[in-house]
Amino acid sequence: MLKTIRRFSVFFAAIAVLSPTFAADDPIEKRHELMEDVGKAAKPVGLMLRGDSEYDWAVVLTSLNTFEGASKHFGDLFPAGSETGGDTEAAPAIWDDREGFDEALAMWRDATQDAIAAQPQTLDTARPVLGGVFKTCKNCHDGYRIEDE
Amino acid sequence: MLIRSALFVLCAGTLAAWWLTSPTELSVDDLPPHTSDPLAGERIFWAGGCASCHATPVDGKRAQGESKLLLGGGLELDTPYGLFRVPNISAHPEDGIGAWSTIEFVNAMQHGVSPRGKHYYPSFPYASYARMAVEDVMDLDAYLRTLPPVAGRVAEHELGFPWSLRRGLGLWKRLYLDPTPVVAVDSADALLLDGRELVEGAGHCGECHTPRDRFGGLLGESWLAGAPNPEGKGRIPNITPAGKAIADWSQRDIEYYLESGFTPEFDTVGGSMVAVQENLARLTPADRQAIAAYLKAIPAVD
Repeated sequence: MLKTIRRFSVFFAAIAVLSPTFAADDPIEKRHELMEDVGKAAKPVGLMLRGDSEYDWAVVLTSLNTFEGASKHFGDLFPAGSETGGDTEAAPAIWDDREGFDEALAMWRDATQDAIAAQPQTLDTARPVLGGVFKTCKNCHDGYRIEDE
Repeated sequence: MLIRSALFVLCAGTLAAWWLTSPTELSVDDLPPHTSDPLAGERIFWAGGCASCHATPVDGKRAQGESKLLLGGGLELDTPYGLFRVPNISAHPEDGIGAWSTIEFVNAMQHGVSPRGKHYYPSFPYASYARMAVEDVMDLDAYLRTLPPVAGRVAEHELGFPWSLRRGLGLWKRLYLDPTPVVAVDSADALLLDGRELVEGAGHCGECHTPRDRFGGLLGESWLAGAPNPEGKGRIPNITPAGKAIADWSQRDIEYYLESGFTPEFDTVGGSMVAVQENLARLTPADRQAIAAYLKAIPAVD
């Protein structure tokens, strides 16, 4: 019995090690990872906007750079055939209304680039600029993400 | 003799059924002395999210911005009971509720009775509004009168039998229409009392976040513990202190979520909560603080 369990563990461990290599080519997995990165970058900025941590432009800039990179490539991760599968929350609207989706992503990129250009050094000057960036998150999620509540 | 007894039972039964299903309502003399304040009513309007159902959809989509104030109705709610059509509650005198008196409005909101004495279906969440302070309802009445009249009557609901029998709702109300608060809170804590009134009353949070029994009555012992999504698949989350959706959230996290739409991990609000959050963002920070404090204080239900 113990031997069987051990054999199974080796089997599953092997799968666990191997699966990321499979996942690397999977657009669903890739877009999840990219959004994870974006979420992690958003958090420190959000805490500053909430007034729960000290405003720090250097940290904000790092996050904005992450946003900018992601906003340029995110749209490429929704090829035909990746509509369903995994635990994707991508809404059919992405494929039905590709133009609108691209526009929503462009709004995110533009707002991010505006913020980078503005280089706000204080929380008061940063608030409207970064607020504009954060608004684009919700804008795209509202139309192009399925909610499993 | 047998026939006479049978007739007697039938008559008594009919009378009892008639009485049991007849509407209960207030008369003008029952209203407290209160000068209605439309500005205070605006707060209730957003707390209640009236526009989310009653604003006329624009191009088949939820109304945004200023069009949230055009309450011509027309949204359709496709439910297991049938198709509900949301009515016009704009200030239009014929098509809306502009010709109603304040007592008629209060009876609609808190007793689920129309000016012509008919029961409303609880898709209009008067079972929650019954817990509001009547002064707040009067203020809301005054605010709605300041909004533009919208022409156009909405067609009737299309419900299956036996739900199509409106009169039967009288029984439902006897079972489930109860103005007493759901959760007991410290009566010395003004913040909790405010939060309770917003959540249990105008905000009608329980209508989606609390599971129902087979007749559509809310299960008080599972208050805000999550329920199947009435608008489709998935579940509406448990928002008691034990609900995994928000168990780790601080009171401040809840306030910020309601204000900004961002979770503590800075993901964004989704689904039917989007509209709710956008409405609650229009309240004062103190109101959102009260809501958050109440949610932290209610019984944790797994």
